[in-house]
Amino acid sequence: MLTRRSFLKSSAIVLAGAGTAPQWLLRAAAQGAQGKAGRKVLVAIFQRGAVDGLNVVVPFFEPRYYQLRPSIAIPEPGKPNGGLDLDGRFALHPTLQPLKAMWDSRQLAIVQSAGSHDPSRSHFDAQEFMECGTPGIKREDGWLNRALAPVAPDSSPVRAIASGAQLPKTLQGSRGAIAVDGLPRFQVADKTTAGLLENLYSTSLDAQLKAQGQATFDAVKLIESIRTRPYTPSGGAQYVGDFGQRLQQIARLIKADVGVEVAFADIGGWDHHSNETGQLTNQLRQFGASLAAFTQDLGTKMEDVVIVTMSEFGRTAAENGNAGTDHGHGNVMMVLGGGVRGGRLYGEWPGLEPEQLYERRDLAVTTDFRDVLGELVGGHLGQKVDEVFPGYAPKTSLGLLTS
Amino acid sequence: MRRLGFVLGVTALLVTTGSVLMAGTAAGRFDQKLAKDRQVLHVLNRLTFGPRPGDVDRVRSLGIEKWIQQQLQPRSIEENPLVAARLQPLATLQLATWQIFETYQSPLQTVQVPAPVLPQARLAQLVSSEQLQKLSTGSAEERLAIIGSIAPQNLGPVLAALTPKMLEGLPDLQKLAEKARVTETNRTQFVFRTTVPNLNNLLTAEQRRVTQQGTPAERRALIMSFDAATRKQVLFALPPAALAGIPELQREALAARQPPMFVNQELIDSRMYRALYSNRQLEEVLVDFWLNHFNVFNAKGQERMLLTSYERDAIRPHVLGRFRDLLLATARHPAMLFYLDNWQSQAPREDVAAQPLPPNVRRPGLNENYGRELMELHTLGVDGGYTQDDVIAVARAFTGWTIYDVGKIAEFQFNPAFHDRKEKIVLGQKIPAGGGEQDGIQVIDILVRHPSTARFISRKLAQRFVADAPPQALVDRMAATFTATGGDLRAVVETMLTSREFLSEGAWQAKLKSPLEMVLSAARVLGADVTDATAIAQRIADLGQPLYGKAEPTGYSTTSDAWANSAGFLGRINFAGALASGQIDGVKVDLSQLPGNSTNAIDAARWLLGAAISRETLKLLEKGTKDTALSLASVAAVVLASPDFQRR
Repeated sequence: MLTRRSFLKSSAIVLAGAGTAPQWLLRAAAQGAQGKAGRKVLVAIFQRGAVDGLNVVVPFFEPRYYQLRPSIAIPEPGKPNGGLDLDGRFALHPTLQPLKAMWDSRQLAIVQSAGSHDPSRSHFDAQEFMECGTPGIKREDGWLNRALAPVAPDSSPVRAIASGAQLPKTLQGSRGAIAVDGLPRFQVADKTTAGLLENLYSTSLDAQLKAQGQATFDAVKLIESIRTRPYTPSGGAQYVGDFGQRLQQIARLIKADVGVEVAFADIGGWDHHSNETGQLTNQLRQFGASLAAFTQDLGTKMEDVVIVTMSEFGRTAAENGNAGTDHGHGNVMMVLGGGVRGGRLYGEWPGLEPEQLYERRDLAVTTDFRDVLGELVGGHLGQKVDEVFPGYAPKTSLGLLTS
Repeated sequence: MRRLGFVLGVTALLVTTGSVLMAGTAAGRFDQKLAKDRQVLHVLNRLTFGPRPGDVDRVRSLGIEKWIQQQLQPRSIEENPLVAARLQPLATLQLATWQIFETYQSPLQTVQVPAPVLPQARLAQLVSSEQLQKLSTGSAEERLAIIGSIAPQNLGPVLAALTPKMLEGLPDLQKLAEKARVTETNRTQFVFRTTVPNLNNLLTAEQRRVTQQGTPAERRALIMSFDAATRKQVLFALPPAALAGIPELQREALAARQPPMFVNQELIDSRMYRALYSNRQLEEVLVDFWLNHFNVFNAKGQERMLLTSYERDAIRPHVLGRFRDLLLATARHPAMLFYLDNWQSQAPREDVAAQPLPPNVRRPGLNENYGRELMELHTLGVDGGYTQDDVIAVARAFTGWTIYDVGKIAEFQFNPAFHDRKEKIVLGQKIPAGGGEQDGIQVIDILVRHPSTARFISRKLAQRFVADAPPQALVDRMAATFTATGGDLRAVVETMLTSREFLSEGAWQAKLKSPLEMVLSAARVLGADVTDATAIAQRIADLGQPLYGKAEPTGYSTTSDAWANSAGFLGRINFAGALASGQIDGVKVDLSQLPGNSTNAIDAARWLLGAAISRETLKLLEKGTKDTALSLASVAAVVLASPDFQRR
């Protein structure tokens, strides 16, 4: 397998010969072991469109759940199409068998009734607030970008990767982040003009284009040797759908050990205002199978990786007029990884009675999403939580991580 | 160490990215008139999808003000005959939605038509009220007796409509009812199925070899040798690779295999042709703007069948008309009713809220989706001053605005049975009970007159045409025009285009082109001859902006930061290379019109970039072509991929 060190050496020699070796590469090669084994990686997954958390992690012990959702409720465990029992009170959606296996092996932790206390039920605003990490405030940069150390001369150009065509707000900011939409496409096809174009961007007075252009050309060089090698996922991992492809790309870069520190992938298609049952099943199939494939593919490397999932808000506790649900409030977050204290539910369950619901209609938020992310930023990445989530002091210590 | 300096420099720059170009000193520069030599290119970059060869001279000789006035009156502009020529073969553009359904129904599709009435209501039609009472409260024997007395032709529908409680203690009937429900469900579904023909029965071994290994000309000749019916079957069955490089047959194959996608492709192609060739460019830019504002998504259900009419009948007629007409046209259009679920939204019914319903039966109730997005995205803006209560009130007002025969006819219909007749309070204004269809129209009027709408629409327009963070004074003047004219969009756009902020240094090159704008402007500046637009539309999709392909109701971003990223830059660079070297199907570029030669890139670069060429670009091209001779195609590719060309 290609290790970071051997890759750095060979690439540095090749590139140095061409006279274009980036500084970070030369330095990293000179220092050799800089890319020490055990670099921690945080992977953030955004479920855009507000997933219906009450049908993902089902409170089957609540009779009220079945009253509120006569046609879309997930049956109790043991019944046909019933949920997968977690603890006698909550159950996973029956399609999430791959995640149930991770729950059983204590790699998956679930935080119930998590989310943002901001009252917005606008997809756009709520996503923006969550991605900025500052409910109610729109910023220029995202929380995951702030969770990186400031750019240093030896920072890898792929330290922060969004897997997809867009750089999401979560990753935008001053600390260098790039979007990679398919490794095979991540190259300049016409090699005769690549150098000239790189110079055009690096000398441009257009700050925005110069910065992103340069980051791009540096990453292209680094990814070149990874891109051209055939790749077979390990452990029989079977990625599903577009989301699976995005996760596989992240896994491939993490395994190549080229300095990935944080990564991001999103999966849309959760806004089920009508006919929720079939659509949710399809989306969860892709979601659960791909996350499981990712952990299989990474194998022992998962010890250094934590995955966290989020969605902008939950959905109404009651089904609407079209066997769907409308925009709600509290939701479920998942945390997966080797260092995760898994097989447990976290967060206080607020209940589904009218007076227990937020504005008498939605699941309440009892755990601020920043409490979850903060533990990972602090405990896993070792960054200062109050700088990543300015003005916020964590309310509860969940104890999601083993150390 | 140039590199080290660069890394540190980037760090410093990244810290301020986003503010340097957009805000920074720009506020003052919106007062500074744009340099004379930049003005013509600037207005062309903003009112069109980029200049074509000769456009700069045309605008200069006519005068900027006069040209803008012309663009504001598109009917006064003589249309390029090429537009009609390219659109003429696209037959679906002229069809009504019901005709599209009739002709282009997917061969593999199931259309579920929801039960028009509640099963209880249907039950009430089939049995007497006395019987219904006994079915609800009677003993098992009493219920069995009643069901036994039902006329045979009604037994199926009755069984299917019985609730689980009515079948309690009658296990045999429960099984029969289960079967009846399946039958009833099947009855309300139209299932269209044709099987994929077997190639081995259609082609000889030698012919199959040609489809796999032949040149495009050989493959084309083979396929064209069949009669129409056989050809359709062959095209249906062939793998896409067999049609590579033959756009006209790819099109025919799409029509055979996936008719709804074919319909949508014709619409997408028409957008390309109009954007590339129409002389009424401002109108085309505004069609793009308003389609994005009132976004709908082609992959939701049968949306593809509805989009042709949506663009033609709801958007195009109003882009320089009244905002109220535009808003109402979208509100009533099946494409929007379907996309934001309003067609299914019904008044909540307390009488059936608590009782269990048989499986597969819809419980009447509200759907808030349209009510919310109408205010957040179409009119007031998210900070426009509405509450969750307003969302519910608006959703209630629009109950009953639905679609007549959704899988076949798909026309607007007001269904009083779905409508919430009670009083509503919307943004503090009372809508009295019993208004029926007028409730929705009243909401539209309240929203159009609301000052937040004037501000929100004005700001978004200024964001597209002037700068990502447009000067507030300009937005205020546009909003004042909006209010004074009752939402006359031509007047609002005119206020903007004739403002000093529009023709200012602050606006110059302030916008990063979206993928759509980048691809089209590159094809236009090269004077590309596009005879099949599918491939070029696909390039736009690959760059992250497929037409009609935005799933979220927000539409695509109108600001730069969404498009400034690595994947996007590489995509643009590679597109520019493919375009300039003639590698895009259906697109011909003639580089012989470009001045300059392989050792002189400067003349060609000046010709392509005009006043937008930067000193840095000039210097590097001079040096770069001195070191290595570049083909004219490579020069064009570099220029179209350069930072200078990514802005407008």
